[in-house]
Amino acid sequence: MTIRADGDDELIAAVATGDREALAELYRRHAPWLVLRLLRRCADPGTVEEVVQDTFVAVWKGAGRYRATGEVPAWIWGIGIRRLISRLRQRPMPIAAAQDEAMVSAEDEVLIGVEHGDLGAALGRLSPELRAVVQATVLDGLTTKEAATLLGIPQGTVKTRAARARRELREALA
Amino acid sequence: MSVPTVEIMDVHKRFGRTPALAGLSFDAPAGITGLLGPNGAGKTTLLRMAATVLAPDSGRIRMLGWDPSVSDERLAIRRRLGYMPQEPGFHRSFTAFEFVDYIAILKEMTDRRARHDEVRRVLDLVGLDGVKGRRIKTLSGGMRRRVALAQALLGDPDLLVLDEPTAGLDPEQRLRFREIVSERAADRTVLLSTHQTEDVSALCPRVVVMLDGAALFDGTPRELTNVAAGRVWLAAERSPSARLSWRSPDGSHRNIGDAPAGADLVDPTLEDGYLLLVGERAFAEEEAA
Amino acid sequence: MSATWHAAPEVLDRYAAEDLNDVHASSLEAHLLRCAHCRSSLSARAQSPRLEAVWTGIEDALDAPRPGVVERLLLRVGVRGHVARLLAATPSLRLSWILAEAIALGTAAIAAQGAAGTNRAGASLFLFLMLAAVAPVAGVAAAFGPGVDPTYEIGIAAPMRSDRLLFIRATAVLCASLVIAGVAAVALPRSDWTVTVWLVPAFGLTLATLALATWVRPIAAAVVVGLGWVLLAAAASIASTDPLAAFHAGSQLLFLGLIAGSVVVLARRHAAYEGRIPT
Repeated sequence: MTIRADGDDELIAAVATGDREALAELYRRHAPWLVLRLLRRCADPGTVEEVVQDTFVAVWKGAGRYRATGEVPAWIWGIGIRRLISRLRQRPMPIAAAQDEAMVSAEDEVLIGVEHGDLGAALGRLSPELRAVVQATVLDGLTTKEAATLLGIPQGTVKTRAARARRELREALA
Repeated sequence: MSVPTVEIMDVHKRFGRTPALAGLSFDAPAGITGLLGPNGAGKTTLLRMAATVLAPDSGRIRMLGWDPSVSDERLAIRRRLGYMPQEPGFHRSFTAFEFVDYIAILKEMTDRRARHDEVRRVLDLVGLDGVKGRRIKTLSGGMRRRVALAQALLGDPDLLVLDEPTAGLDPEQRLRFREIVSERAADRTVLLSTHQTEDVSALCPRVVVMLDGAALFDGTPRELTNVAAGRVWLAAERSPSARLSWRSPDGSHRNIGDAPAGADLVDPTLEDGYLLLVGERAFAEEEAA
Repeated sequence: MSATWHAAPEVLDRYAAEDLNDVHASSLEAHLLRCAHCRSSLSARAQSPRLEAVWTGIEDALDAPRPGVVERLLLRVGVRGHVARLLAATPSLRLSWILAEAIALGTAAIAAQGAAGTNRAGASLFLFLMLAAVAPVAGVAAAFGPGVDPTYEIGIAAPMRSDRLLFIRATAVLCASLVIAGVAAVALPRSDWTVTVWLVPAFGLTLATLALATWVRPIAAAVVVGLGWVLLAAAASIASTDPLAAFHAGSQLLFLGLIAGSVVVLARRHAAYEGRIPT
C-alpha cells in the first residue's frame, strides 16, 4: 500500500478516471471523521455504516462532477448528510441523544482555544433542542425541510426553534 | 513415488480417422506434473480427459481415486477440479469480476456475498485486483490468461488441470505464474502442459514427455536431463553424427546425439534430454518409413 | 481563527470516544472540514475493524455485476440472484435479441392487421403464426452449446449439471418468446381462438429441439426442427385451400404427440448434454 502525497483534489480527479487506489486513499482520510460526525446525528451505527458506504460509492460515481475548489471534505459531508436524510425519510430512526447540559468549563475553554469563546458559552446555554437546530441549519447547512427530516420534527418547529435560538444567542452575546 | 492421484492406463482416443492418444499410460502423484511434448502429441486431449470433459475410447482413468466414467464420481471430481483450457473463451462484454463470478456460479457457489469474496480472493491471487472492473475485451492477452487462471483457482480445488497456461506470457508473468502455482501445489495435484522446458525445470518435480499420443518418458526432471548425459557436445560447426544441432549464442554449435571420440562434452540441460527423446523417436519413425 | 490552530490531543481523544460535549464537538467538526492535519490525527485515533468491513462493502458495490434490463426484470419476477446471472449470460436473452424478436413478430402482426379483409389476409396471418411458433426454437439455439457459449468447455468441467443449465435457459427463452408473441398478437385482426393457435406448436417445436439436441449440437437440432417446420407448414398451407391448415385440430394433436414423445426422450437422455465437445 503506497501512501499518496496527493491532495484531495488530485485524488478526486484520479477517482474520476477509475483509480480504485485513489478512492481507497480518500476513504482512509475521510471515513473516520465522517463516521463520527454522522454518529452525532444518528444514533444507529448500522445505518451510519450503510450511509458511509453509500457516500463513497456516490463519490466514486460522481467524482467527475466535482469542481476542484479545495473543499473536498465539505463536498463529502454534503453527500453523506443528504444520504442520511433520504434514508431517514424512508425510515425514521432515533436521533442522537443530545446532551442536556453542555457546560463549558474554564478548563474546556483553555483546551479548545479561541475557536468559539463567547459564542461557545452562549451555545452551551441553549437547550439541547435549540442547539440541535442550530447545528443542523447553521453548521450542516441544511434546509428547513432537511433539518426537519433529520431531527424528526415538523418544519414549522424547525423554524420556530431556529428563531428562538437566534434571539437567545443575540441576547447572550449583547 | 507416493500414492498416485492421477492414473492413466492404456488410454486410446481417435477423432474420426486421426488417432490422438495411442496407448497412453502414466501415473502422477500429488504435486506438480508437467506434460512436455510437441504440437499434436495429445497433451490437450489428455488434459481434457483429466478435466472430465472428454471420454476415452478405451483404457482407464482415475482422478483422485475416482472414475470419471461413473456419473456420481465424475461429479465428485468436478467439485474438486479447476480447469484452464488452452483456448479459454470469454463473454467479452463481461468485466473480469463478472466473468469469474459467472464461473463461480457454475461451480455451485450460490451465496452472493461469499461468492464475491471468493472472486476477489482469486483475482487478487493472480494480481488482477486493479482491473476487476474492466471489460475483458479491453484486457491484454496476458491479463486474459490470468483471468482464466483465476477461475481455475476458485474454491481452492484439489486438482488443477492447466493447458498451456504460460503461452503468450512474458518472462516476468511466467515467473509470477510459477509462484502462484507452486504455492498452491503443496498437497494438491497439478497437471500442466507446456512447450517451455524452463517451466518444467523450475516448477515440476515430475515430468511426462508425450509424442504421438503415447508417453515416452515418465520421471523426474533430473532423470530426463540424464537421458542426454554424455551425449551433448560443442563443436565449431554442425557435427555429422549429431541427431540435432544448433548455433549457440556464443557462435559454436551445440550437438546432441552419439558423440564422436574426443568431442568437447558439456553437461546436458533438460532441454537437451527432451529434444534427444523427441528427436530420436521422430528419427526412428523416419527411418522405419 | 488562526490558520495554525490545531485541536488538542485530549479533545480529539474525547471526540473519537464520542465523549465530547456538544458545543466543542460542533466546533471541532467545523474545524475538521478545513484542517487535514487534525483529520489525520483523528484518523489515527478512530481506527476500527468496522471501517475495514465498510470498505469491503464499498468494493463489493463497485465490483458486483450490474444487472442489465433483462436481469432486473428477472429479479423482479422472483428469479433467484444466481439463476438470473446465469440467464443474463444467455445470448438469446439479451436485450438486443429480445428487441429483434419483438420487432419481427410485431411487424408480422401489424402486417396481418393491415392485410385483413384483402386476399392476402390468410397468408399474412399464417406468416405471423408460423414465426410465433418457431421463435423459441431460434432462442434455444442461441442459448447453449459450443458455438454460442464461449465458456462451454469450462462449464462442462464445472459441477453444475449442463442439462440443468440448458433447461433453465430454454425455459426462460420459451417464456420470453411466449410473452413477446402474446403481446404482438394483440395487434392481430382476429380475436378468436386463432390467436392462440401457435401455442401448442411453439411448445412442441421447442421440446423437439431439446430432444434432438441430445443427439446433435443444439444449433443443428434447431436448424433441423425450425426449417422442417417452416417447410412443412408452408407446404401444408399451399397444398390445401386454407392457409392455416398447419394449425388445424389434426395438426395440434400431432404436436401434442410430439410434446409427449420429446418428454420421453428427454427423460431418458438428458444426461447426454454433457461431454458434447467440439472435436
